[in-house]
Amino acid sequence: MVLLREGMCPGLDEDFVRRLRDAQVKTVEDLVSSDMEDLAQKCSASYKALIAIRRVLLAQHAAFPVSGADLYDELLSSTAILSTGNPDLDALLDSGVYTGEITELAGGPASGKTQVCLGVAAHVSQHLRQNVIYVDTTGGLSAGRLRQMLRTQTSSDDEQMEALQRITVHRAFDIFSLLDCLYRLGGDGGGGGGLRQASSHGGSVKALIVDSVSAVIAPLLGSRHDEGMYMKSQVAITLKAMAKDFNIAALVTNHVTRSVEGEVQPGLGVSWSHVPRTRVLLERLPDADIDRPTRRCATLIKSSRRPCLIRAELDLQWWSRSERDTSGKRKLDRADS
Amino acid sequence: MQRPVTTLRLSPQIKVKVLNAGFQTLDDVMQVSALELSREAGLSQEEALEVLQVARKEGGADGGGAGDGASLTALDLLQKEEALTRIVTFSSRLDAALGGGLPVGKITEICGVPGMGKTQLCLQLAVDVQVPPCFGGLGGQVVFIDTEGSFVVQRAVDLATAAVRHCTLLAEEAEQRDAAAAFTVETILSNIFMVRCHDYVELLAEIYLLPDFLSSHPKVRLVVIDSVAFPFRQHFDELRAQRTRLLNGLAQQLISMATKHDVAVVLSNQMTTRLQGGQSQLVPALGESWGHAPTLRLLLRWAGSQRQATIFKSPDCEEATVNYQITTDGFRDDDRSEQPPSKRPRTLAGQSAAC
Repeated sequence: MVLLREGMCPGLDEDFVRRLRDAQVKTVEDLVSSDMEDLAQKCSASYKALIAIRRVLLAQHAAFPVSGADLYDELLSSTAILSTGNPDLDALLDSGVYTGEITELAGGPASGKTQVCLGVAAHVSQHLRQNVIYVDTTGGLSAGRLRQMLRTQTSSDDEQMEALQRITVHRAFDIFSLLDCLYRLGGDGGGGGGLRQASSHGGSVKALIVDSVSAVIAPLLGSRHDEGMYMKSQVAITLKAMAKDFNIAALVTNHVTRSVEGEVQPGLGVSWSHVPRTRVLLERLPDADIDRPTRRCATLIKSSRRPCLIRAELDLQWWSRSERDTSGKRKLDRADS
Repeated sequence: MQRPVTTLRLSPQIKVKVLNAGFQTLDDVMQVSALELSREAGLSQEEALEVLQVARKEGGADGGGAGDGASLTALDLLQKEEALTRIVTFSSRLDAALGGGLPVGKITEICGVPGMGKTQLCLQLAVDVQVPPCFGGLGGQVVFIDTEGSFVVQRAVDLATAAVRHCTLLAEEAEQRDAAAAFTVETILSNIFMVRCHDYVELLAEIYLLPDFLSSHPKVRLVVIDSVAFPFRQHFDELRAQRTRLLNGLAQQLISMATKHDVAVVLSNQMTTRLQGGQSQLVPALGESWGHAPTLRLLLRWAGSQRQATIFKSPDCEEATVNYQITTDGFRDDDRSEQPPSKRPRTLAGQSAAC
């Protein structure tokens, strides 16, 4: 639904737009859905001209089919799989997070969501040398921790600093700030540091991390107004569009709720469950508190590539392991054999 | 990407009117004048102006991006983090586990059953944040929001006296001696702003007003809410959904405030029993989703006759458990026993010290 304006298509001049408005036809949608003969009489325009205008407008606003073969070519040429840096998590996710898609991490407090986000940011920035956008909505982003993770990958201070500079941090603590920030990134210029601009001066943005998406949406839900639901779907649409249009991997985090039976499920309700392409549920191991506090259990609960409900154990310590400390590696080998 | 007008920071009524008049995206709105908009959408002139102002701000016509969502790189953030002094707890082991004390600009939650020393730790922090900078403190002021009526000024005097004594003993250089002379119990007490909130409405109202207070008192480095659970655990039996919503909103406001004004927010929380699979378990109160609100979560609990503090949630520290005790002087290390300080092997302590 777009407002009718002069010059939108040939034949639609100022005078014509005014006459249409007088006949209560303001938007493209109004024009397309109204009866052409009626309209021609009402605003004393030629039926032929109206039909022509309608055809052009429909063609302008319609989606067009793409063949599967073209899609496949595009996929091969543009899709990247960003390794998370953690082999156990990569195995679960079919080798990493995919660009053009939304991947979700759900989990309770202290289940390691932020750690995975930081780990992915550090890995993509340092190892893959790509730019990362990190939207922090909970204040959980710790640059000190990022530095710690980077230190294990390179001992050079300069390289660590460069990697940190490739991570752009946005802080948005309410839903409007988040949307402002996303649209500013997606907007095509104006000096706001949009994605197009970022990709023009060296290095492209490959990952967008939103930690956490539920923190800003949850305060709106549960009231009588449906504003919350609407905003939730707006965030979903925006994230999807950004992931697709700019071909970046979107990684979001979500909290969990407990059903009456005590079962843990991701938050934000059923309508949100359709948004991410891949969902991973992170949980603390029930018996792991004593000797391995950094081990977490990850369950794949939604995926279009791998069978669902497969589980993996991962070590959050992996991202900050030191080169000498091979205990993580050893544990892995044992798991493999 | 075209931004829909409905995603702008406007009241729902105005958005509906604008939408019904056929204005879908930001571009549509930006092309008309306020007068046209008010006529087309049936808005008052003020409303139309407001719409256009919001739209222009977000439309990036004047460069945009100057708002609170302004971006910085992780490197800027690191420098900022390093420039902020942490608040020491006067328990050296806990400080070491926390990487130097409680972080400023984050939310820390202290959970524990009654009598564990939650309020004592809150009071201790309220005194510690005032330690002059030359002694490694912040020299800041405190807002202490008391919801339980547990702020005992006599205890604050005890802790302040101990802190003053400590600093006087440490003072060596002339600068430190001067600072120690000015660091008295009276100044400490006068730098604590006590707010007593009796129910959740008063608490929420106070939090809404707090940013203004912080702007006019730029030296405040710590906001304590003792406790956040108490007002929210009454009168909400039928309204669980509303409570969750209010709490989620509160959490976002607190973190926004903490970031904007560089203050540490410390909350204390009670414990509750969760029944799961026929077993009962002690967990922090206020429900699962509240658990995401604090950046850092400290659990205080008994292990036999020993008080233990566990870092349960933190983005930058290892999980660790340390022993502590509550003395007349306040929150201190517990050195009574010779057994290793932690039941849990802190194998990775070397790395946590770096954070």
